[in-house]
Amino acid sequence: MTLSIWRYSHLTLALASFVFVFLATTTGIVLAFQPISEQLQSYKIEALDQLDLDQTVATFKRQYPEVITIEVDANQFVSASVITKNGTALNGYFNPKTAAFLGEKPEVSNLFKFTTNLHRSLFLKSTGRFLVGLGSFLLFLIAFSGSILIIKRQSGIKRFFAKIVKEDFSQYWHVVLGRLSLIPIVIITLTGVYLSLLKFDVITEDKPAHNIDFSNNAFAEKQPDGTVFNATTLAQVVSLEFPFSEDEEDYYTLKQDSKELLVHQYSGQILSQVNYPMTTFLSDWSLVLHTGKGSIWWSIVLLIACLNILFFIYSGFKMTIKRRQNAVLPKNKIAKDTAEYIILVGSETGSTYGLATAFYKALLANGQSVFITDLNSYTTYKNAKQLIVLTSTYGEGEAPINAKQFLSVLNTVPQKQQIQYAVVGFGSLNYAAYCKYAQLVDANLQLHPQFQPNLELCKIHNQSEMDFKKWALQWSKSVGLDLDVARIKVSSTQRKQLAFTVVSKTEINIDNTFVLTLKPNKRLSFKSGDLLSVIPEQDGVARLYSIGKIGGAIVISIKKHEFGVCSNYFYNLTIGDQIKGVIKPNPTFNLPKSKRVKSVVLIANGTGIGPFLGMMQDTNPVVKHLFWGGRTTQSLQLYKTSIDASLNSGSLTSFNMALSQENNTRLYVQDVIAKQQSIIAEVLKNNGVIMICGSIAMQNQVLDTLNQITTSRLQQPLSVFEHNNQIVTDCY
Amino acid sequence: MKKSKLIVSLAVLCLVLFSFTALPTTSKYKCMVQMTNYSGEGAYIAISLINPEGAYEKTLYVQGDDEEWYHDITEWWKFQGKVRAEIDAFTGATISGGERAISVIEIEDSKINAGYSIRFESAVEDQEYYTKDVQFVLTSESVKSKTEGTGFIRYVRLMPN
Repeated sequence: MTLSIWRYSHLTLALASFVFVFLATTTGIVLAFQPISEQLQSYKIEALDQLDLDQTVATFKRQYPEVITIEVDANQFVSASVITKNGTALNGYFNPKTAAFLGEKPEVSNLFKFTTNLHRSLFLKSTGRFLVGLGSFLLFLIAFSGSILIIKRQSGIKRFFAKIVKEDFSQYWHVVLGRLSLIPIVIITLTGVYLSLLKFDVITEDKPAHNIDFSNNAFAEKQPDGTVFNATTLAQVVSLEFPFSEDEEDYYTLKQDSKELLVHQYSGQILSQVNYPMTTFLSDWSLVLHTGKGSIWWSIVLLIACLNILFFIYSGFKMTIKRRQNAVLPKNKIAKDTAEYIILVGSETGSTYGLATAFYKALLANGQSVFITDLNSYTTYKNAKQLIVLTSTYGEGEAPINAKQFLSVLNTVPQKQQIQYAVVGFGSLNYAAYCKYAQLVDANLQLHPQFQPNLELCKIHNQSEMDFKKWALQWSKSVGLDLDVARIKVSSTQRKQLAFTVVSKTEINIDNTFVLTLKPNKRLSFKSGDLLSVIPEQDGVARLYSIGKIGGAIVISIKKHEFGVCSNYFYNLTIGDQIKGVIKPNPTFNLPKSKRVKSVVLIANGTGIGPFLGMMQDTNPVVKHLFWGGRTTQSLQLYKTSIDASLNSGSLTSFNMALSQENNTRLYVQDVIAKQQSIIAEVLKNNGVIMICGSIAMQNQVLDTLNQITTSRLQQPLSVFEHNNQIVTDCY
Repeated sequence: MKKSKLIVSLAVLCLVLFSFTALPTTSKYKCMVQMTNYSGEGAYIAISLINPEGAYEKTLYVQGDDEEWYHDITEWWKFQGKVRAEIDAFTGATISGGERAISVIEIEDSKINAGYSIRFESAVEDQEYYTKDVQFVLTSESVKSKTEGTGFIRYVRLMPN
């Protein structure tokens, strides 16, 4: 089990309780509307704290021959039970200032009654109450273990509210919403548990009994002032029961939040007072906090918390299922001491297991003897020739849970023979400590006398299957294997392949470049700058192409390489042919959507112009400047019509070109940019974006030039604009 | 002619007398139920009129307004559950331990001193059910008395209004 104890408890608790939590939450959502609907009624009388009880009692007595009770509820509605002059009983809301009847108490709707019952006891009476109470307690433990997981993920309690790296939808929102609703959930669960304990008499409210000795009291006439009724405002009253009869020994019972008073009906003297115990205070508050009684705002908070819990159930299980799919390493068929290939895996959540397993199977299929295990289980391998370490990094560069011991064990376990090794790090570029632990492992192996590297450390972003395949190809070549990398496949979530029809294909020009236009067979939404992923049958490795969008069609600019599997595949297509592929959104390299961005600079060399062919024709009202570097005037011919049309229609503002092999001028795209400093400076100054597409070599040269421009013209290094996401690149 | 006049006036008198007896006179009583200090859910209490033969005659009041739990007041529900007389007008909330509740009940005058009784049944969720928590014969004396309970009810006080 590679899951840490907290993650494990978090999950186990969730599994144990989700049925009850789900029921309690859905019913809770309905019940949150009860206090809200109550509050929306208009029986509220303002300034109850200015009315004293004495006045109110007098007003009621004047109006009605018999008053039985007056109550003030959590909504500050005053209700009473009286008998009118014609002898009928009247119950409902009253105006305490005039004792006028306002209306009957609306009956609690059957929906709320039904839901309350389900919420409290699932219609199972005591058993149900117990289960719901237990579920509530488990939910509290889930919230607790969840907080610990957040603290661990964020590397420290101080960073609890720091930014969360978005890995995928479920994970991100599970954490974000988890933090936000932590406090309401803790309150809901603890009060829920408390209320359950009350019901089961684990906590008892032992109200001290009143003790009245009438013989000791000589009851004179009513004291004119200074009675408790004069000193009590209506806002402090919970309920006042009137004396049952005119008998001297019948009294008023006045209940307040924290005490209960018995008051002599003629003298107004306090006959007895009991203060409620702490448990009563806690019970009252538990009820108010748990139900949201009397406060619309708190009810809404509770409602949102309930909705979040539902989301947690959904996203939590989604994540679990995803992890389960690749959470276990395969059973070894070959003993550790006979295997020549040893794969060691380090993973916190099990996500690296998928690719590791696929790699293991590919090696087995190739007829090799392989042994796979986690990094912690590192030991002697008598027959090993190749060691492959596949590991992720946890937190700020720490070892994942199943690799924590590896580095210490590495130096204590002696290997008899020399072993070659390769390390692959898995991580996310969004973390500062990208693949840091893999680097550490690589460095330690390098220092170890028994290990020789046969490949440099390879870092893989977001479990990219494609990058891993590339690495696997490279590795198998380095060890002299002919590995079938097409077998390395994990994602069951692979997008469905879509069909496209070849609409046109230009002739190949002197640079071996051509432009291919594809039309999706079905309606498809995509943008210039998105990526088309195509998997040629020949090797099964996906290739990505930056695409331009022109009138619903996909435009790709392709350079044919002599042995290029995919470029030749494209080159051999004829009009009308069908191909399969997947369009991957690439939002960072689409034309900026933000209204703040008024201008863009598009920089490309060679076939890098592909996405820009679409963008420059886009009617998006953004000023666009295109810089392009090619070899000869003939190279331009391929794109000239498109560029001219865009310039004429005004969708493209300016075009600057650099030709490197024409007239011995040897002009490169960065040279033209250096001449047009004002355009660059102007665009960057006004929040514009610079988009670069083409070769890495070109990108680096261009970035240097841009840096010179920003430092001299804007007195700021380029990194400032890079941080601001004003420089985006898509280079290869 | 004189004779016929007499018959008419006799007939009128009869009619008047008859209609008087047909419209029973009722009186209102204040009724206070004081609970013992038990712990647990609020108690359901049914107050019924029992005829001299010991059978249910009428429901006078019910403390507890959720019909779902009425079957807990077993004996009463055997009667009320069948006849389903309209009781919405005289239901109140359940009464918790140590609490008291005052209600106004109406009893026909003809039932006083006629061998009829008033019965208070009490039931608490997951606890006991007392068929005759309080029961006494209605007399002009007992309608202004205090009667001790045997179950969840400590005492009941009745008072003509």
